[in-house]
Amino acid sequence: MSLANQSGHKHPLSQMIAEINQIFSELGFVFAEGPERELIKFNFDMLNVPKDHPSRDMQDTFYLSGNPEVVMRTHTSPVQVRYMQSHALPIKMICPGKVFRNEATDATHEAQFFQLEGLMVDTDVSLGHMKGVLEYFFSKFFGGDVKVRFRPSFFPFVEPGVEVDMMIAKNDTNKLSGRWIEVMGAGMVHPHVLSGAGIDPDIYQGFAFGMGIDRLGVLKYGIDDIRLMYNGDLRFVTQF
Amino acid sequence: MKISHNWLQTLFETPLPSAAELENLLTFHSSEIEEVITVGDDTVLDVKVLPDKSAWLLSHRGVAKEISVITGIPLKHDALREVSLLTPDTSKVTITLSTPQCDYYSAALVTGVQVGPSPAWLAARLTAIGQRSINNVVDATNYVMFELGQPLHAFDADKLQSKDGVYHIHVRQAHHEEKMVTLTGESYTIGEEVMVITDGGNDAPLAIAGIKGGMTALVDSSTTNIIIESAHFDRFSVRSTSKKIKLRTDASARYENGIPAGLAPVALLSVVKLITEIAGGTLVGYSASGTIIHDRTPVSVPLEKINSTLGLTLDLTDIEHILQKFGYVYEVVDTIITVTPPWERDDLVVPADVIEEIGRIYGMDKIISILPTPSLLTDYNPRHYYAEKIRQALVALGFSEIYTSSFRSQDVAHIQNALASDKSYLRSALYTNLRDAVIKNIPHRDLLGLTAVKVFEIGTVFGTTDEAFHVGLAVQTGTSYKAKVDDVLLSSAQDAIAAVLGAVVSWQGTDAGVSEFSLDALLPSLPPVTRYDEIPVTKLVPYQPFSIYPSVSRDIALWVPVTVEAHVVATVLEEHAGDLCVRVTLFDTFIKEDKTSLAFRLVFQASDRTLVEQDISTVMNNIYRITTEKGWEVR
Repeated sequence: MSLANQSGHKHPLSQMIAEINQIFSELGFVFAEGPERELIKFNFDMLNVPKDHPSRDMQDTFYLSGNPEVVMRTHTSPVQVRYMQSHALPIKMICPGKVFRNEATDATHEAQFFQLEGLMVDTDVSLGHMKGVLEYFFSKFFGGDVKVRFRPSFFPFVEPGVEVDMMIAKNDTNKLSGRWIEVMGAGMVHPHVLSGAGIDPDIYQGFAFGMGIDRLGVLKYGIDDIRLMYNGDLRFVTQF
Repeated sequence: MKISHNWLQTLFETPLPSAAELENLLTFHSSEIEEVITVGDDTVLDVKVLPDKSAWLLSHRGVAKEISVITGIPLKHDALREVSLLTPDTSKVTITLSTPQCDYYSAALVTGVQVGPSPAWLAARLTAIGQRSINNVVDATNYVMFELGQPLHAFDADKLQSKDGVYHIHVRQAHHEEKMVTLTGESYTIGEEVMVITDGGNDAPLAIAGIKGGMTALVDSSTTNIIIESAHFDRFSVRSTSKKIKLRTDASARYENGIPAGLAPVALLSVVKLITEIAGGTLVGYSASGTIIHDRTPVSVPLEKINSTLGLTLDLTDIEHILQKFGYVYEVVDTIITVTPPWERDDLVVPADVIEEIGRIYGMDKIISILPTPSLLTDYNPRHYYAEKIRQALVALGFSEIYTSSFRSQDVAHIQNALASDKSYLRSALYTNLRDAVIKNIPHRDLLGLTAVKVFEIGTVFGTTDEAFHVGLAVQTGTSYKAKVDDVLLSSAQDAIAAVLGAVVSWQGTDAGVSEFSLDALLPSLPPVTRYDEIPVTKLVPYQPFSIYPSVSRDIALWVPVTVEAHVVATVLEEHAGDLCVRVTLFDTFIKEDKTSLAFRLVFQASDRTLVEQDISTVMNNIYRITTEKGWEVR
């Protein structure tokens, strides 16, 4: 009631990123970063997205004037390549970061949003490990017992590629519980991506995943319009 | 792609599962289904075909093959497994390929057709998948395209310039500024980078190769003799033309996804059979130019790699069982499986491709999770660590964190294809966006119970080539910046940050209530990070949509006996201020003799409209009445 000693509010994106880091750090995943203005080499070429190929259409890209080699990164996946090139194996890393898509905005789409990348590479890492890691993460992040399932899908930088659905164990207080919800794309790192980053795909293998942190916020807090996260409106931020 | 259940059924001998069951099977073994819709007596599945499968799955045959592998129900026959000989030959059609962008072109000459409406079954199939029925000949070419995935085109032979009864098809790159009118009447001026099908008799363009036919040799009700094209065009050439002239068709989508050349003769035989059945006419013969390469390189994968990738324990029998369902040519030596992909499959190149094939048919949903083991972190992220420290310090001082756009209307790094002119540069600093945010939030101070708007952002800013992680602050108390009050707030935040970092911070642009610094520049001088702080578990409070209508404030000051506590008064005010009152804030207190003066601010807001004076005065009059009853004197 009084105006003295009012505390401020941490943005839900920062809160989620900190929680994500805390959960993954328990499993030894390192918080990695990369530039938001990225070379096409890392954003597409080294991620096995062929030049002039329909799979490049899956992401609408902002280009920089006067430098045809540079884009605003369309995903956090280029950090996979940068990290593999500069770190010793085995690898366990996450990268939460801002990404950019040249598309019209609405309640569920922003031209800039946050993604969470995950990567684990070793001699024997399988889709089973990925399922275990994701169930661990979602259970801690959403609370309660969370199950994960895979469906076949395609992303150029993974093979096999999967869509990941999750289900929070049924409880009456959570509207999301008890049903499958599509949360992200993932898969086993494509051998071309490994070899391009200097890793022998005959010896090493690993999984990678990428999901929207905004979408996690929609699910976790019931945020109905992701644009609210980026418009600086305190009527939104002060709720957290 | 829209796939008709009735159509699929014609490709099988025995009854298929229902569309709902097929949706489920395809979802977990092949492709996502965007929707299932009922069209008349048919059910249509909209299959989301992703780029890796687009060379062979953009067809009813492709989807039928997947269903056959998943369910074990055999296809009635598979045209792709049969020998496709284009016989008899005819010398009445000659073909010249003078561009490397076309490696195979086949054509059939059919005379004496009767162009008319399609039979009901054919029109119904096309209508079900959202296509318009045009006439029996055109519909037949479309039908075979949607069945086998090969684009086809029929030309009216009599509209070509024949020489001694011989028609000449010439595939070439367009001339400089060549004019072309498509069969639906749109004009295009094209250049050397565009491939065209032309009438060799007079050099006139007949079609934009792989994209759309032209008006010149349009098949209409007067047509009796037709030349049917079934060809293979370079995927990248079709794709770049399609993008350039902004014309994407069902045909171009298939070419740009790299359909195999081997499909062309298969589809030509099929369409000739269909046309002669439904439009009559006689096949004169076929003509073809170019080559089809059917070879696929075998792919070897050890059983151990399959299991270690999928996290499964399949044995050779399981693997062979799946490969046999596909009908793949394979051999097993020790535990190494070598698969020779069929010619239409361009997506089985590396061992991982074969692993996916096995995994998805076995079932990706059957993968068992392996519990991760906790492990010690070896590397800490100082930027995240110190950013969290700064957040903590600022939040404690009443600052709230915002995230703003990375785009600006004017700055140093220009975006070539911006969404809007006010978003065509990358921000080189945070303060401009922060100042905008402050101005936007000033009117909400009372609503939020704030005496000042105090915000910060931690994010990336961009120079011409470099980028850096900045921390920016902005404060404002009144409706405009007042150095005397605002600078104090700003400097206390700056001091708090310096204290938490234990470093001297070089602030940039401390002016008019805004200030920022580069955290990246400071990081090398900060102590290394050896652990992360535990995040306090916050209670999960679901977000509540807020009213977009303006709020209105009214102040009331009351003399009350010193024995009456402020919260008691506040409760009375809250009780009687009605639903429109969203906040009651005590903002001033002083005692004079045996009385206390309490000043409250009441904030009103409706969720569905802008409040008018009448709304507020009704509530305030009620409050004045109640407080008078209580013996509290309104000052």
